[in-house]
Amino acid sequence: MKNFAYVRATSTEDAVQQSQTTQNAQFIAGGTNLVDRLKVFLDRPDRLIDVSRLDLKQIEATKEGGIRIGALATNTAVADHPQIRRDYPLLSRAILSGASQQIRNMATVGGNLLQRTRCPYYYDPVFACNKRQPGSGCPAIPGINRMHAILGASDSCIAVHPSDMCVALAALDAVVEVESTKGRRQIPFNDFHRLPGDAPERDTNLEPGDLITAVILPPVSFAKTGIYLKLRDRASYSFALISVAAAIDLSGESIRDARLALGGVAHKPWRSIEAETFLKGKPATVETFQQAAEIALQGAKPLDHNGFKVNMAKRAIKRALTISAQGGGVA
Amino acid sequence: MNKVIGTAVSRTDGLAKVTGKATYTGEQQIPGLVYGYLVTSAIAKGRIRSISTEAAQKAPGVIAVITHKNAPKVFKPTNNFITSKIYEARLPLSDEQVHYGGQIIGLVVADTFERARDAAQLLQVEYDIETPLVNSAKATYKAANSMFGEEMAFRKGEFSSGTGVTEPATIEATYTTSTELHVPMEPHAIIAHWQEDALTIYEPSQWVAGIQRTYAELFGIPSEKVRIVTPYIGGAFGSKVYPWPHSILCAAVARQIQRPLKVVVSRRQMTANTGHRSETEQTVKLTATKDGKLDAIVHTAKSVTSPVDMFPEPCTNITPVMYAAPNMQVNQTVATLNVGTPTFMRAPGETPGMWAMESAMDELAWKLNLDPVELRLKNETTTHLRKNLPFSSKHFADCLKEGAKRFGWQNRPRQPRTLTRDGKLIGWGMAAATYPALRGNATVKVRLLPDGRVNVLTSANDMGTGTYTLIAIMTAETLGVSVDKVSVEIGDSLFPDGGLAGGSQMTASLAPAVQQACQNLLKSGKFTNTKEAIKELQSSGRAAVEATGSSAPSEEGKNWAFQSWGAHFCEVSIDEEIGRLRVTRWVSVMDIGQVMNAKAAASQIRGGVIMGIGEALMEECVFDPNTGQPVVYDLATYHYPSHADIPRIDVTFVGKPDLTFNPLGARGGGEIGITGVAAAVANAVYHATGKRFRNLPIAPDKLMA
Repeated sequence: MKNFAYVRATSTEDAVQQSQTTQNAQFIAGGTNLVDRLKVFLDRPDRLIDVSRLDLKQIEATKEGGIRIGALATNTAVADHPQIRRDYPLLSRAILSGASQQIRNMATVGGNLLQRTRCPYYYDPVFACNKRQPGSGCPAIPGINRMHAILGASDSCIAVHPSDMCVALAALDAVVEVESTKGRRQIPFNDFHRLPGDAPERDTNLEPGDLITAVILPPVSFAKTGIYLKLRDRASYSFALISVAAAIDLSGESIRDARLALGGVAHKPWRSIEAETFLKGKPATVETFQQAAEIALQGAKPLDHNGFKVNMAKRAIKRALTISAQGGGVA
Repeated sequence: MNKVIGTAVSRTDGLAKVTGKATYTGEQQIPGLVYGYLVTSAIAKGRIRSISTEAAQKAPGVIAVITHKNAPKVFKPTNNFITSKIYEARLPLSDEQVHYGGQIIGLVVADTFERARDAAQLLQVEYDIETPLVNSAKATYKAANSMFGEEMAFRKGEFSSGTGVTEPATIEATYTTSTELHVPMEPHAIIAHWQEDALTIYEPSQWVAGIQRTYAELFGIPSEKVRIVTPYIGGAFGSKVYPWPHSILCAAVARQIQRPLKVVVSRRQMTANTGHRSETEQTVKLTATKDGKLDAIVHTAKSVTSPVDMFPEPCTNITPVMYAAPNMQVNQTVATLNVGTPTFMRAPGETPGMWAMESAMDELAWKLNLDPVELRLKNETTTHLRKNLPFSSKHFADCLKEGAKRFGWQNRPRQPRTLTRDGKLIGWGMAAATYPALRGNATVKVRLLPDGRVNVLTSANDMGTGTYTLIAIMTAETLGVSVDKVSVEIGDSLFPDGGLAGGSQMTASLAPAVQQACQNLLKSGKFTNTKEAIKELQSSGRAAVEATGSSAPSEEGKNWAFQSWGAHFCEVSIDEEIGRLRVTRWVSVMDIGQVMNAKAAASQIRGGVIMGIGEALMEECVFDPNTGQPVVYDLATYHYPSHADIPRIDVTFVGKPDLTFNPLGARGGGEIGITGVAAAVANAVYHATGKRFRNLPIAPDKLMA
C-alpha cells in the first residue's frame, strides 16, 4: 500500500520548508476535494502537510478600503462576514451557491482556488485523461461533453473549473498572495488559473512549494450592485451549467464601469474584459447588455452536447447585468 | 383504548436511527472479519485475455485474489420468483466474457478495507475489446414477455374494421425516459460468515425468507443452515430483493477462505452492479369522440436489458387498468445493450407507463378543449380490462375531485402562458396515479410478558418505510396496549417468515398476520382481553404467553381486481429565458384503502412524489458512446432532488377500507406516489409555456431551447 507521511506545519515558513523535502508533497487544509481524490487514487502524495492550524484565518479590512481574506478562512466565514456581505455581496452569494453547508464549513478559501475539475472522465480511471495522465488523450471530446468548456479549451482538454467563489473573485479583481522559499509575492487573479493548452495537468501558475496565504480584494465602489447568477440542473448542490458574476456602476443612465465573469464555461474563471470595455460609457439598456453578452461569447466553440451553453450564457449575462443595473439583489 | 390504526404515529425506530444505534449491514462487528474489494471491468464488451494477480497477491495483508480463473463454484439456483431468485442469471466470474462496463471481474480480500482496495489497483488485465452497444437507437428490439414469463401483448376490440367514431379526435405521440440509477442512502453491502457448514448472511434484503432459500440453493445446503440478518435497510426501492453478483461472490469466497468476509459496493460500482431502471420509449395513440369518450388506446413500449438477464420494464401494465375504451392494443419489446442488468425500481412499469399515458391524456384534453380532470372522470373504468374483473374498491373520482378542490383547480385558465407571477410563467398540471394492490403470505409470532410488554417477531423487514411502526400499531390496536409497550424484532430468518417487502405489499401482507397472531394469543388462554392475560401471567408465574398468526391472499382474487388510485395536482414556476424551473406547489390525494399510519403513509407518498420530480426534471444516467462506460456514476453527477427543489407536498387519503382485499382493508402505499408525477410536472410545464416536453428529464437546456 502506498503510504504517505502526515506532518502538521507549525508556521507558514515551516510549511513551505516542509514541502521542499520531497518531490511529491501536498498541502492539506479542509480536504474537501483532496480527500476525495486520494480515495480514488487521483493524487498519490508522499507527504501531506497539514496547514489547517496555521494562523491564516483572519478576514480584515485593508487600509485601501478593501478586504484581506486569510487563506484558511472557511468558505462559511467568508460568506457570513459582515463587511463582505455589505461590500461584496456577489462574493457571499457565489460561495453560498456552491457545495453544502457542511462542506463550506470545512472548505477554505485557499483550497477553493485549488479545487480541480469535476469532469467525470478525469475522476474515473477507466477513461484516458490528459489531465490525469498527460498524453493519454481526452475521451470527453468525442464523448459526452454537456458539462464541458465552450471557451478557451484545447485539443487536449475541455474541462471546466468548478468553483463559484472564484468567478466572483475574478470579477472583483482579487489578488492572490503566495509564500514560497523565495518570499512573498502577489498574483493577479486572472493570471492565477491557466487555460489547458497542451499542459492540462496544470490548473494554476503556482510553482511547487507555493503556499497561498491570502486573497486580497481591492475596494470596488460598485460591487454592492454585484450579483451572482448560477444556472444548474437542480436548485442546490450541483455544479454550474453557467454562472455569471456581474456588477454595473451607473452614472445616471449610462454605464461608468462594469465587471463580468463567467463560470462553467472554461478551464478557469472567465473574465470578459472585452465585454466590460464595451459596456463603459454605453446606456444601461437591454440592447447594450445583449451586445455585451454577444461580445463575451465571441469565440465560443461548442461541442456535441454543450451548444446550449452559448445561449444560456448570453441570456444569463443579460439577466445579471439588468439586475445589477437596477441596484443588485438576488438573481 | 383509543383506536391506533390510522393515527399519526412517529416511527418507533427513529431514535435508534438518529443516534446511530441502528446497526446497518456494513456496521456489523464480526470477530475476525476480513474485507473484499470488487475489481470491475474497464471495458464494456469483449473478453479478458489475461489477468495478472501476482503483484496483488504479494501486497501486504492480502488473503486472496479471486478471478474467473480461480473462482469458487456455486450451484445455479432455481431462479424463479416463487422459491429463489438471483438478480443476474449469469453467475459472477463464471467465464472470461465481459458484457457491460463495470462488470465484476475479480475480488481482492485483505485484512483491512484499505489494503484490499489498494491491492485491487495492482491487478493487470488485458482485454480483447469489442465495440459495445449502448445506444438504444441502434439496438434491435424483440417482443418481450414479462419478468414472470407471461405474454405482455394484449388486444381487444375491432381495430381492423375501424372504430366507427365520426370525426374522432386523435393524438399520437412518443414519450421517453432516461436510464435511472438506484441511489439508496445505504450502498449495497454484505457480510458472509461460515461456521462449519452453516452460513450467516448480513445483507439488506427486501425478502429474508426468499434469499435464505436462494443462498441455500447456491451452496447446496439446507435452508435451515442459512441465516439471514437484516434488521435495518437504508432504502432499497426494488434493488435489494435478491442477491446480486457481489453477494454471491462474497458468500462463495468467504467459504473458500473460511473467514467472515465483508463486501461493500461503492457508489461508482453500484452504477453497473445493483440495478437501474431501463430507459424507455413509448408511443401512445388515443382516439376519442368529440365529447371525450375514449374509443381506442394503442400503447407500445420499448425498454432495454443486459446481455446476461432479461428484465423488460413493464410499462403497459397500466393500459388495461386506467381508462375504459372498447378498443385497446398494447405491445412491448426489449433490446439488449452492453449495460448492467436493469431491475425493479419503485413502481416498475407503472412509473414510465403513467408518464406516457397521463401525458397523452393531457394532450387529448387540450385537443378536445376539455378539462383534463373531466376527461379522466368521463373515461373511468370499473373493471380491469385485461383480467375482466371488477375493481374491489375504487375511489379514483374522489381523488380527482378532492385534489382539484384542495388545489383550487377551478381557477385554472384554459389557455397556456396566461398565469404569471414575479415575471415568471406559472403552470398548473395534473395526472392520475395507480398501482396494483398485492399481498402475500406472512407469519408473525407475538409474545406477551407479565409486565405488559409485548414482543413481536417476524422475518419481515423495514426498508426505512415504517414496518417496525406498523407492527407496533397493529399489535397495540389488537391487544389494546399502547404502542410503546410493543417491541418489534424483524429482519431475521430465525423468526417466522414475514414475507416480501416489494410490490407495495408488506403492510397488506403483514398487518392481518399481526392481527391474527394477537387474536390467537388471547384465544390460546381463553382471555377476553390483554389485562386478563397479564393478570393470569402474574398470578401463575408463567414467563410469557405466545402465539403465531398467519395471513395469505384470499380467494377473492379470482373475483376481483385490486388496485390503488390517486391524483396529483401541481404548480410550476418557470423563468423561461434562463431555463429555470421550480415546482412550487403539490397536492396528492390517494385511495389506498385503510391508512394504517397516517404519518408514515403520507411520508411514503411524499417520497414517491419527490422521486417522481427527480425523474421529471433531473435524473439521467448517460453512457460514453465510445467506451460504453457511464459518465454519470456518483452523487455529484447523478442529480436527484435537493430540499430546495421540493415544495410543501399536501397529501390526503380517501381512507375507505378495501375489505374485499384483506381484513383491514389496507392496500400498500410504497409505490403509487411516484406514478403520474412526471406527467403532472410536464403537463404543468405545458400550461405554463405552451411547449410539450415528451423526453425526460426536462433539464434547463431543454427548457430554454
